[in-house]
Amino acid sequence: MTRLLPLVFALCLSAWAHAAPIADSLVRIEATSQEPNYKTPWSPGEVISGVGAGFVIDGDRIMTNAHVVSNARFLTVSKEGDPKPYTARVLHIAHDCDLALLKVDNVEFFNGTTPLEFGGLPEIESLVSVYGYPIGGKRLSVTRGIVSRIDFQTYTHSGMDSHLAIQIDAAINPGNSGGPVMQNGKVVGVAFQGYSGDVAQNVGYMIPVPVAERFLKDVEDGKYDRYIDLAISYQNLFNPAARRALGLEDDDSGVMVGAVYGGGSSDGILRPGDVLLEIDGYPIASDGSIRLQNGVVPFTEIVERKFRREKARLVILRDKKKQTIEVPLDDPWPFTLQGNAYDEKPRFVIFGGLVFQPADRNFLNDHAPTNQRLNFSFDFFVEDGIYRDREELVVLGNILPDPVNAHAGDFRYSLINEINGHRIRNLHDVAEAFARPEEYFVIKTADVGPPIVLDSKAVQAARKNILKRYGVTSEQNLEK
Amino acid sequence: MNPLHHIVVFLILLQASVLGGTFQPRFLHSKSSSATTTPSPVPILETSLFPQVTTQSVIRVNSTNQAYDYQSPWQKKTPYGRRGIGVLIGEGRILTTADLIANSNFIELEKAATAEKSTAVVERIDYECNLAVLRPTNASFLDGMAPLALDGKISIGDSATVLQLEPNGELARTTGRISSISVAPYPLENVGLLVFKLSTPLQQRDGSYTLPAVRDGRLVGLLMRYDARNQTADIIPMPVISRFLDSGNLIIHPGFPRLGVSYAPLRDPQLRRYIGLNEPGGIYVTKVTPKSSAAAAGLREGDAILAVNGRPLDQEGNYEDADYGKILFSHITNTLTPAGGKVALKILRAGKIEVVSVQMQPLDRSGTTSPSYLADQAPPYFILGGMVFVELSRPYLQEWGPDWAKSAPQRLVNYDAFQDELPADRGKIVVLSQILPSPDTLGYDHIDNVVVKELNGRPVKSIADLAEAAKHPVDGFQKIELEEDPKWLFLDAASIEANRAQLMKHYALPATERL
Repeated sequence: MTRLLPLVFALCLSAWAHAAPIADSLVRIEATSQEPNYKTPWSPGEVISGVGAGFVIDGDRIMTNAHVVSNARFLTVSKEGDPKPYTARVLHIAHDCDLALLKVDNVEFFNGTTPLEFGGLPEIESLVSVYGYPIGGKRLSVTRGIVSRIDFQTYTHSGMDSHLAIQIDAAINPGNSGGPVMQNGKVVGVAFQGYSGDVAQNVGYMIPVPVAERFLKDVEDGKYDRYIDLAISYQNLFNPAARRALGLEDDDSGVMVGAVYGGGSSDGILRPGDVLLEIDGYPIASDGSIRLQNGVVPFTEIVERKFRREKARLVILRDKKKQTIEVPLDDPWPFTLQGNAYDEKPRFVIFGGLVFQPADRNFLNDHAPTNQRLNFSFDFFVEDGIYRDREELVVLGNILPDPVNAHAGDFRYSLINEINGHRIRNLHDVAEAFARPEEYFVIKTADVGPPIVLDSKAVQAARKNILKRYGVTSEQNLEK
Repeated sequence: MNPLHHIVVFLILLQASVLGGTFQPRFLHSKSSSATTTPSPVPILETSLFPQVTTQSVIRVNSTNQAYDYQSPWQKKTPYGRRGIGVLIGEGRILTTADLIANSNFIELEKAATAEKSTAVVERIDYECNLAVLRPTNASFLDGMAPLALDGKISIGDSATVLQLEPNGELARTTGRISSISVAPYPLENVGLLVFKLSTPLQQRDGSYTLPAVRDGRLVGLLMRYDARNQTADIIPMPVISRFLDSGNLIIHPGFPRLGVSYAPLRDPQLRRYIGLNEPGGIYVTKVTPKSSAAAAGLREGDAILAVNGRPLDQEGNYEDADYGKILFSHITNTLTPAGGKVALKILRAGKIEVVSVQMQPLDRSGTTSPSYLADQAPPYFILGGMVFVELSRPYLQEWGPDWAKSAPQRLVNYDAFQDELPADRGKIVVLSQILPSPDTLGYDHIDNVVVKELNGRPVKSIADLAEAAKHPVDGFQKIELEEDPKWLFLDAASIEANRAQLMKHYALPATERL
């Protein structure tokens, strides 16, 4: 199965002075990847191939989108005008901002290429050109458009991260992903996502330079850390009564902290009802925006540009008194369950034909369960602090039918609470509970119903047969 | 097994537990609990030994119904008319379904033969068993007409005749056979009571399927729904009607007694061995509704019920009924036992057989957090400076359409679905339902369907609590604390008071509260 990777723009303007060097730096990427299926978590998954774009940057590296090379098993790259494919591998990959760096084993590949340089944030309405290998032909394609909007957007690759993104009106098609967007001979963005034509016309997005540069800086120490986050929600402060009640002037400044997520950077530092007035010296307006050199952006952009263990300096109003506080920034741990994950092996434990799995986003994508309690626990995992009781949402994900489990059917997708009185907080707990010598295993779920009872002798007797019948190659995998 | 099958089954299980009643989920997907026969091809003959029912014993019931708009609770929705056929039951009373007259504004009785009319009032109504008794406001209206005998007997394979009215006032009779008898959910409350299924080809004539079914000149039941594709009518049978009519002179029927347990079949031999059950049948109690008959008798999760009043239960919870064959035990507890009566349960608890005597009472709904129906009741609301507050209920969620469980705000759906797991003193869930934009709510207009925790530092467990707390602003502000984002909202207490008349005029609100 061949699939064109979501979005790449590529362009080749004959009138463009820098057209030749840009074409020299463009890379066509063919990726063969293997996507695991969380319904059969022991299987390596279906092999699929796709095409995307990339471009050469300094250090003999190729920048592209993370989604072009996610779950990759085999990568080849080729240059425009040179049909020879070279094998490549992933050097660094950042799923939270959809960027990746590739290395080519044979350095001859880079002969004749010119590393592209990064520009800055382009002006609204300014012209940009998009290069890539979209649907419609095999060779380089170029489209052109203007900068329509600069704002935060959800990056759909992970589905849960929002960063600055630039909207452009050039035509975008599957296969455009990872290509450079150029202005005045410099890269001003990496094309990465858009809407299909039946949703909106001429709306495409590119990853802007601040995000790309942050990625390059993050990997300078040889590994990629995640983005960090304040882990709060905040509210606009337009309402005059709310402003007066909180002790604010009528000057359109400040936003109010709503939720402070436990375990996040601000836990124990900020409180619901605090008003954020300034971040690192930038005054925060009542809609949460700050004014940077290139225009108005949400104040969280300041945090976005920082790295793990750096601090954000906030001026806040608490109980009508101004104070300055510092928030040491860290990983947004509990959120990660809610995002698409890549380059991970599905985790599971099979016992008596019952398949126990953590219900993360990948699991939900493949299973689409209808269990109300599970779906609610997933959606409100962070907001309601469900992660305090359950590190992950362990469910009975599947049943490999056998006489030993003939009556467990009603519990598919139920959250697992206990096995023989041992509280289940993560998948390791399941593996440990079943490793204990017991006569019966009594599994209690979060849903209304009798316990699932397994007679351990019967389970042992059925074990080999179940594995053989369903082609299960391994009874458990606890590591990503 | 098909995995989808499991999903469906499971959802039903959940819903059953929400209702907290004795309605048990299995029969939604399993017909094993109901005795079924295939109608024989023998021609059906009306017997001539008994007099035929005439138009002197039935009457048209025309009801104009209008439900409240739960999202704009100060108004009602578009009225609609429904027509059905009621049955004369003596003493100048008419029996009909509760469904026909739910949320009625105006009820009219119409004689089939003469089209003479009288308005009527509801004398007794019970949405659980879907029955109601009407009385004409003109006391002599029914004089000269003939009540129908209420002692009709019928069993599986027997024929019954459904009565409809032609435009000319003549009775149209359609005869079919009873194909099965089982305990099945009733439409409004979802409680499980006895249902007869009648196979018969009915035409849509009267604007609803509230129609009498008769045999040998006697009433055998009232139709409550008709499945046109399968040509099957669901009938409320006489045992249910008798229990409804027998319960004194209360205007609001006290309700059928309910055991108040959820249970699961005990099919799994591993589970049976684990709990030490050596007898063949029995069911496993998965939940006991607080304050129910079962709770009062000390029944617990994990008990296995083996027999009811000495009748052994099979693994699905069926017993062998003398009249109806294999049916669910809840027919004994809900219908055969009057409120206040006792049933003896043989249970297995911690490996020992015990007999528990349960005094059967209707479920106490006074503390219900999210009621499953609110027919005929005006929903309370409170409007504070354009913010509309309501109490969570199933009808409120149903405003999101047939797919409400998916499309309504999930926090509210969750409160409704798992309300019996809330602390006993949780009270109602007060929801900031919507905001009518005004100068006082500037900047708040994107907020809707969030749950209120406190107002002015006072916990809010009902609209009445909210109204009381609103009388005590803090430093001149109405300070609303929400359970979720945006956590805090403030209104200027003096300003909303000053703008109240303007707001009412602007949005044509008849009142800013209904407590």
